[in-house]
Amino acid sequence: MLRRRWVDAVVVVVVVLAFVLAPQAYSNETLLFQMMVYIALSQGVNILYGFTGYLPFGYVGFFGIGAYGASLLMLHLNWPPILALLGGGAIAVLLGLVLSPLLRLSGAYFAIASLAASQAVYLIVSNPALQNVTYGPYGIQLVSQFNPTLSYYVMVVILALTVAVVLYIRRSRFGTALQAMRDDPVSAAMAGVPVVRQRTFAWMISAGIAGLVGGAFAWQTSVFYPDAVFSLSISIFAIVFTLFGGAGTLLGPLFGSVVLYGMYNTIGISDPQYFQLIYGLLIILLVLFLPDGAASLLKRRGSHVL
Amino acid sequence: MKQLRRYLFGLAGVAALLIAGCGSTTSTTTSSTAPKDITIGTLYAGSGSYATSSLPELAGLKFWMSQVNKDGGVFVKAYNKKIPVKLVDYNDQSDPNTAQTLYTQLITQDKVNILVSDFGSVLTSVAVPIAQEHKMVLFDPTGTGASFFTPTNPYIVLTGLPTSAVWPDNLAKYLLAQNFKKVAIVYAENDFDQSQDETLTTQLKAGGVTPVYNQGVPTTTSNYDVIIHNIAATNPDAVLELGYPNNDIAFLQNLAASGQHFGFLFTIFPGQLFSLLEQNVGAKTLTDTYTYPTPPLLAYNSGVNYGMTISQFTQAFQSANGSAPNFLDIAGYNTGLAIQKTLETAKSLSQLDLRAAAGKIHMFTLDGDFTINKEGAQMGETLPVGQIQASGSGLKTVIVFPSSVATGTAVH
Amino acid sequence: MLYALIAGVLFGLYYALIGLGLNLTFGVLRMVNLAHGDFVMIGGFAAVTAFSAWHLHPLWSLVLVAVLIFAVGIALYYVLVPRIAATKDPEMISLVLFFGLSQVIEALAVMRFGNNTQSIYEPVFGKAPVSILGQPFPAVWVVSGLVSLLALLLVYLYLYRTRIGYSTRAVMASREEAEVSGISVHKVSAIAFAIGLGLAAAAGALAPFMLGGITPDLGVGLTITAFAVIVLGSLGNPVGTVAGGLIYGIALMLMQTYLPSWSALLPYLLLLLVLLVKPSGLFGRQVRSA
Repeated sequence: MLRRRWVDAVVVVVVVLAFVLAPQAYSNETLLFQMMVYIALSQGVNILYGFTGYLPFGYVGFFGIGAYGASLLMLHLNWPPILALLGGGAIAVLLGLVLSPLLRLSGAYFAIASLAASQAVYLIVSNPALQNVTYGPYGIQLVSQFNPTLSYYVMVVILALTVAVVLYIRRSRFGTALQAMRDDPVSAAMAGVPVVRQRTFAWMISAGIAGLVGGAFAWQTSVFYPDAVFSLSISIFAIVFTLFGGAGTLLGPLFGSVVLYGMYNTIGISDPQYFQLIYGLLIILLVLFLPDGAASLLKRRGSHVL
Repeated sequence: MKQLRRYLFGLAGVAALLIAGCGSTTSTTTSSTAPKDITIGTLYAGSGSYATSSLPELAGLKFWMSQVNKDGGVFVKAYNKKIPVKLVDYNDQSDPNTAQTLYTQLITQDKVNILVSDFGSVLTSVAVPIAQEHKMVLFDPTGTGASFFTPTNPYIVLTGLPTSAVWPDNLAKYLLAQNFKKVAIVYAENDFDQSQDETLTTQLKAGGVTPVYNQGVPTTTSNYDVIIHNIAATNPDAVLELGYPNNDIAFLQNLAASGQHFGFLFTIFPGQLFSLLEQNVGAKTLTDTYTYPTPPLLAYNSGVNYGMTISQFTQAFQSANGSAPNFLDIAGYNTGLAIQKTLETAKSLSQLDLRAAAGKIHMFTLDGDFTINKEGAQMGETLPVGQIQASGSGLKTVIVFPSSVATGTAVH
Repeated sequence: MLYALIAGVLFGLYYALIGLGLNLTFGVLRMVNLAHGDFVMIGGFAAVTAFSAWHLHPLWSLVLVAVLIFAVGIALYYVLVPRIAATKDPEMISLVLFFGLSQVIEALAVMRFGNNTQSIYEPVFGKAPVSILGQPFPAVWVVSGLVSLLALLLVYLYLYRTRIGYSTRAVMASREEAEVSGISVHKVSAIAFAIGLGLAAAAGALAPFMLGGITPDLGVGLTITAFAVIVLGSLGNPVGTVAGGLIYGIALMLMQTYLPSWSALLPYLLLLLVLLVKPSGLFGRQVRSA
């Protein structure tokens, strides 16, 4: 037990150190920042998909509402940024609660309903009718709060928290219960697991992570239009990274995000003309030949993957 | 313990990949000796919704580069000699989040001397804070969002167009002068079109005209049939559709198919992407409609005191690229001219000196009068009102307002 | 009001055509083809290219491209689907696979056709508007309504009047049972998948008239709207698609008339509403779990 805690602590420290030190070696902080964003988001997807089997295609909805929530708290109520981020996270959790009836759906229905929900949130936020509140299509402009360095380190903290949460879930009875529900909901319910409540809880944790990350992203970006934070590609990236690494593990999505997002940028910088083509082909090949994620390679050889 | 070692090993691997996976790049020197070349970094959208406009803009910038490099480079006052220009360009695929990392890549890894943003407000927006953070002047060809230009940000210069909110100035005056009482406006809900609608309705109301129809539609609208029907039901004297190119195409197509006809019809993009619109909706549908003519439809020849005139440019661009230029090619080229003039007059290559030099530019190019205000927004290059008229077997664009630049009168 | 209603019916029928193939694929494969809209886009570019190069009437292009894409669909099925069907969670993994495919198709379309919008403006379906109940409508709307009805009829006949259609319905009801009873599930699925793509391409041939113009990035947005339509009808029930299309079309046109600014929100709201209130769609089976 003690050794496990040790391992967990080491993992968190290594992740933090990697991103605290990385800017010394590589000065494209935006890239590093977005890599953290995707690691955290894919861990959020992981909590839901890896532990409950629900694939949230509309995950970006929480990210976007977190970005907007935090920005609007800064702009309208003059909240200090860090407090506003927490507020954005809380708003995302609230949205998760409102949308929790979606969890009654299964499989593709859930995936698509969550996608529809995220698009609905986007269209409401960006509608000119709400211009006085959300600035509608004119987007967000956080000039006076702009602080790229501080927002970078806040993102490191959020990432560390996310990793810690995933580790906790993996180790806890809560996580075991979730996975039991994923594999066989009926038996789990019969064994006395409060299925609906547990699942809703996982959904809200996942939403909260996306909300916090969205807030940090908004703070770091500081000038953006609504489509930038509600772009479907954000969901898709997080999902692809999770699946590539291997859902249900901690290191899988971490590895998936670092490798695939790194590759995405390497292709973008070295072969801009064939960017989309190469990336699409890569996704197809990965899914065809490694459908259970990179972690499955290790598992197949009998090792335990954290 | 063995397990722990494996975790650590795994994580060290991740960290190594993290650093290696990001790719490596070269850097240019920035010492007091003259650099080998002046690097210009920019992004383009090779695919996605902004590609139609972004690619010609890049082509225009490249054309400018080839012109100056033919003469041995651009004259840099700081070193009192000509230095060749080199371009670093990445593809953001119309995605602002990808653009964000690539802008930073241009600044931090490629260490470009001059930063030029991609087409339009959406892809420019994310560059504004990044440029400011790294204290790089952002040469912004066409990102016309009013919120980019603030007194606290000295690191942006809008080169190709005025901010979108001032576009309809002449249009509103013209509508009032024509004594149109019933004006119908449908606009796409985005910064670019909605800000024009706001300016337009404010100015019309000041002139005593309240639009009989003024509705926003989602920018993704691809079918306007019912909207056209509803507009026609208000019996308007003038109809204005403000959109992106695809909105204009869908609107004009639906209008032609519906059999409706409006006496005064205004759309934005025939004035900028004339051949694209003509290919998609046909010459007949465009005939007698109104637009904001931009170069090359707006032909600045006499009075041009910097760079090529519009006739020279059209000819040279055509022979270099095999196709006639559109407005965005010109906006790209004009951005090149602004950079050239900046380098010719800046005391040093420091970004603040570049910005100071850009602020003092007064020139008249093929894109019209170039003047920026303190906040970096373009004040010149105003947009007149033009009408597309039949001319022999083809079409021509006649400037009808304001009278100072008019080349003809409107026909109904 | 009357105008908006009839326009809604015609436009809704067109969306039913777009959704039809997607629904057939989902019904049979239990997979969501995220690249569906990209085949609509291919059909659109094919029609525009054939018209400008050989002056081929779009209705001919429609037939040709549907057949061609059907053949492509068969091949694509055997390359992609069996591998995925064998994985732990094919329903979810396929979403990612087809997203990748959608990216590849879009990238190839950009290389082949460029980024500029393309369309056909010549009045190939006649210049004069067609009058329905005293309201004038563009002729092409009526044509596309008829084409959609014909396609729906053909799919219905295929499913209910042919032997393979019978097997297809058996697979839709239960893959496992169908397999046990000796039906060649892969063959049936391959044909259904290919028909789905062919229908998408057929809808695409009319897209230059119905959707303003064709661009390579058209696909994803169309797929999502098509989803809304088929969920409204009911996922996995191709005939229910008509109902979904009509509801979507009419609601959209009414929104464009009374609340144009919110019209894009409509498909998503309808979808959520239907899923939460009657998650099986208007004509569907049980889909909820625990």
